[in-house]
Amino acid sequence: MKLTVDHLEDLARGAVFLATGGGGDPYVAMLTARAALTEFGPVDLIPASALSDDATVVTVGNVGAPSAGLELLMSIDEPQRAIQAYEEHIATRVDALVSFEIGGGNSLIPLIAGAALGLPVVDGDGMGRALPEAQMMTYSIAGVSATPAVVLDYEGYAVVLDADNPLDYEHQVRQVSAERGGMVTAVEHPMTGRQLKESIVPATVSFSIELGRVLRESRGRTTQALEPLRALFASSIFGHFEHLYSGKVVDHATSIVGGYDVGHVTIESFDTSQPNLTLDVKNEFLVARIGTEVVASVPDLITVVDDETTEPISAERLRYGQRVSVLGTGCPPMLRTGAALAVVEPRAFGFDFDFVPIEQLHPRQA
Amino acid sequence: MLRIGIDVGGTHTDAVLVRGTELLAATKTLTTADVISGVMDALERVLADHPGSEAQVTAVMLGTTQFTNAVVERRHLVPVGAIRLAAPSGKGLDPKIGWPDDVAAALGDHAWVLRGGYLYDGRPLADIDDAEVDRLIAELAASDLQCVAITSAFSPMNAEPEVTVADRISAALPDMRIVRSHDLGRLGILERENAALLNASLLPFAERVVGSFTEAVRGRGLNCRFFVSQNDGTLMNASFAQSFPALTFASGPTNSLRGAGLLSGLENAIVVDIGGTTSDIGVLRDGFPRESTAITEIGGVRTNFRMPDLLTLGLGGGSLVSDDGSTVGPQSLGHRLVEDGLAFGGSTLTATDIVVAAGTADIGDRRLVERLSPELIDRARATITEMLDTAIDRMRPDEDPMPVVLVGGGAVLVDRDLRSASRVVRPEHAGVANAIGAAQAQIGGEAEQLVSYRNVERSKAIEMVTASAAASAIAAGADATSIRTADVEEIAMSYMEGAVNRVRVKVVGDIVQDGPGDQ
Repeated sequence: MKLTVDHLEDLARGAVFLATGGGGDPYVAMLTARAALTEFGPVDLIPASALSDDATVVTVGNVGAPSAGLELLMSIDEPQRAIQAYEEHIATRVDALVSFEIGGGNSLIPLIAGAALGLPVVDGDGMGRALPEAQMMTYSIAGVSATPAVVLDYEGYAVVLDADNPLDYEHQVRQVSAERGGMVTAVEHPMTGRQLKESIVPATVSFSIELGRVLRESRGRTTQALEPLRALFASSIFGHFEHLYSGKVVDHATSIVGGYDVGHVTIESFDTSQPNLTLDVKNEFLVARIGTEVVASVPDLITVVDDETTEPISAERLRYGQRVSVLGTGCPPMLRTGAALAVVEPRAFGFDFDFVPIEQLHPRQA
Repeated sequence: MLRIGIDVGGTHTDAVLVRGTELLAATKTLTTADVISGVMDALERVLADHPGSEAQVTAVMLGTTQFTNAVVERRHLVPVGAIRLAAPSGKGLDPKIGWPDDVAAALGDHAWVLRGGYLYDGRPLADIDDAEVDRLIAELAASDLQCVAITSAFSPMNAEPEVTVADRISAALPDMRIVRSHDLGRLGILERENAALLNASLLPFAERVVGSFTEAVRGRGLNCRFFVSQNDGTLMNASFAQSFPALTFASGPTNSLRGAGLLSGLENAIVVDIGGTTSDIGVLRDGFPRESTAITEIGGVRTNFRMPDLLTLGLGGGSLVSDDGSTVGPQSLGHRLVEDGLAFGGSTLTATDIVVAAGTADIGDRRLVERLSPELIDRARATITEMLDTAIDRMRPDEDPMPVVLVGGGAVLVDRDLRSASRVVRPEHAGVANAIGAAQAQIGGEAEQLVSYRNVERSKAIEMVTASAAASAIAAGADATSIRTADVEEIAMSYMEGAVNRVRVKVVGDIVQDGPGDQ
């Protein structure tokens, strides 16, 4: 399909939902994408199956702290220059671009470069949500090396990174980002069309546009949006959709879990007969519990929406007194394989319990 | 020791005369096209009730929607030179990006993106290029621009680039009106720049408005200080208001909530303002409205001003009632209630007709609603109560019931106790709550910093930010001994190492006697 300026707002809204509380506000990325698509025209959004097996594909996106990006704006030509620097380094032309993660602003970065360079963008991503680190991408999980990678900073300077394992790469790219203003553009995970087809979470860009459209059209009280959302998720790779809870935020605290600072948001039910729901937050919403019972956990998706507008709310924006609904959905099957769970299950985030898929926690009544 | 509060709204101009928290006189007049004659009329009326009180009035406080309306209606806006100090970042994201075309056009096409600004870690993004600034000044000198807005990256943390360039422009072009974004806003460069641009665009209008108010006050023989209320429920003095009209955006709902609190004598309460079509429910915490986290757009322009958190419910005096009384609203007769409502001789059953029929409100003609069955009346009253109880439960900060303050013309709909409330308070004079809110406001100050709790102990960090908020409150005219913390906000920055938190502190204090409120 031709992805035009008119798709961007829906895509961004869907991407905030899929970011599960993290991913950063895609507003600036959306403005940049809008400027790029207005100047250069629509982008070809192609299914992975349209690529030849020997095509050269790279991922492109921002790495850093979204709060640094509140003040340090990206430039419209940054993704494009990063790709050009990459092509120069590997002395090969790139045939198509693909996203790191559909959650948040990174869903939009490949489109900016794709528009400027006339390159197609593959419909899909490497997470099916937002996750904090490079080794959590399905490309890495499938054995694709993150490097060679090229990282471009706000001044347009590029550095090349090489690492023999994804954790080492993750460490390097974070360091460069922190040194260079807290937000950089990275081109990484070079792969063949064949490797991409085997590792991509498919069709998430077009799904995010659909999700954004459903959220826009059913804007209003969350209870009215549940049915259209349930139907949309049921027919997607996410599968299960569950309304977990509605209530108001009554507490927001922080503690150390497995060596990380983890935030805990407590939500009290409107009818107060139910025990409170707590959310464990480390960049994204990772675990939801009602009382002591886990009702959803990473890698399944937990999203918090404003109960009056069904607008998704990022973890940074959650405040005392806000009235919210907590929604859970399944994750794409490629995040539930043994190799994937090793890096994205609750234990990988320092929690001391095993992952149970959301559809087993909330079996449908026959 | 008297004070006068004036509230200029789209429809009504209200004024009150108060001594401390005691209301001496109140009046409601229609807002006039020129605004100022309506204000003078309102002033005249409250003073006429207390002849010879002029000498005792120590302050006049004005709440006004004129600056919000100017942006919404695209009136009184002048062209502005937008100067951003953040290159080489943000190429292609020029000032006014994402604005509606008409408001962008009102400010004209004048933008300079120059080197400068800082990064999150305190290092320079780029050094200011003197030659670039020289060229900027030459181009400004050759233009017709009267106003500029300067925004540099991370200026809430380090304002030096904005200050340097503002001083250089001011030295070369002494008549140029200059807005520096760090004086207006928080982190978020685009939103802060937008606020600075709108503010700059309103400066000539603000000078006229504040000037004519000051004249009106003086002309009426009031030789006192003059303040304007801000969106956070605090005050700024007149000269400050001339420089920062954008700080009045969204001050209307804030004054209404604060006024309701003051009228009821409650600092912590839920305020329910029931109008003809909707009810707005807000929360007062320590005398100030709880703020919403939603992005605030003024006239379609994204800014980082905070609005009170309001839950709007489709229930008002004109709400339509179903035949069995099981649903009330959201459809409403609105202002046609007094023509089409049953109790007014019309044929439409409304929420007002229910309470008239129940005998708890004396509006219209009760005989016209006599035929309504007791079952219908009971059912509809229960529906109304249930709607409010459910909505109040949603807004209540925790499980403990709080007092509920009822204001607005539709407050008569509540003719029994509310389960959700510890008690229901119906203050007198609720119709002039906004003016009362303005009359009682205090001076505020705010500061914000990014702090790593690994490097600076949390309590020390909060202390540090509080001290800088207090300094700005004192500079704005607060009595140093009366300053207290109104709000501390800590936000853990995601995807950033080192337990970095964004710490924001708001303080308030009383107006210092003989302080800088004078014109």
